[in-house]
Amino acid sequence: MISLGGGDGGGGSSSSSSSASRKSSSRAKATQTKWRTGTQQKIYGRRLLDALRATGGAPQPRAVKAAADSALALTARGQTRWSRAILLSTCRRRVLVKAGGKIRRRHHRRPAKAAALEPAALKERKVKERLRVLGRLVPGCRKLPAPALLEETADYVAALEMQVKTMRALADALAAAQLSSASPPETERS
Amino acid sequence: MSGRRGRISDDEINELISKLQALLPETSRRRNASRSSASKLLKETCSYIKSLHREVDDLSDRLSELMSTMDNDSPQAEIIRSLLR
Repeated sequence: MISLGGGDGGGGSSSSSSSASRKSSSRAKATQTKWRTGTQQKIYGRRLLDALRATGGAPQPRAVKAAADSALALTARGQTRWSRAILLSTCRRRVLVKAGGKIRRRHHRRPAKAAALEPAALKERKVKERLRVLGRLVPGCRKLPAPALLEETADYVAALEMQVKTMRALADALAAAQLSSASPPETERS
Repeated sequence: MSGRRGRISDDEINELISKLQALLPETSRRRNASRSSASKLLKETCSYIKSLHREVDDLSDRLSELMSTMDNDSPQAEIIRSLLR
């Protein structure tokens, strides 16, 4: 019996490392555990199915991914920046968004590399550079300052994990259904 | 909480480190203990996100293929829907 809800059910509460009970860290943990509940998976699973059905039967992989992403953003209910960015990007014309994002290169302001040779400043520059890369990976978070970016990242990572789990369960279920139904000899899918 | 783009204070770095360690999956967290710098943790987070993206892409390929072969079999859609109920 394949169940899409409540897989590991472990919740993200094993890492109780924050000494001070800050509002931000508890909120971050709350969002992480939210994505791991069975109800969220069910909600997402339904939305994913609806989106897939709307693609018209034989979608290209890109269309499947777009459906999965917009279903994910919907399930997030627009409470996070990354989810709003995904929803907006599917509303606008995809061509325009792509042109704006990829062709136009913003002038990178490279900080003077020769000046800072002390280890502290070097480390800081590395951290900043990595933060910038992270900001590019999470949708809509390029210009976010570090603490907000980390909150978005936490939610985004948890959401992605749920997305992967749900999509895999769906693919396994479809594959199993195809195997068990009386399939003609030519469609041999392992 | 003004959006200052200047230096990151030590406190913020420590907070970054603890938050990032909470983000990464259990397996790599055990390996990391408490010695990882913020920069290493950020790098791991970035590669984790990239690997998750890749998984989504692979699953999209797989789903696209599965859906193209199930086109005429409506009982399968019913099976899936009943699984979610």
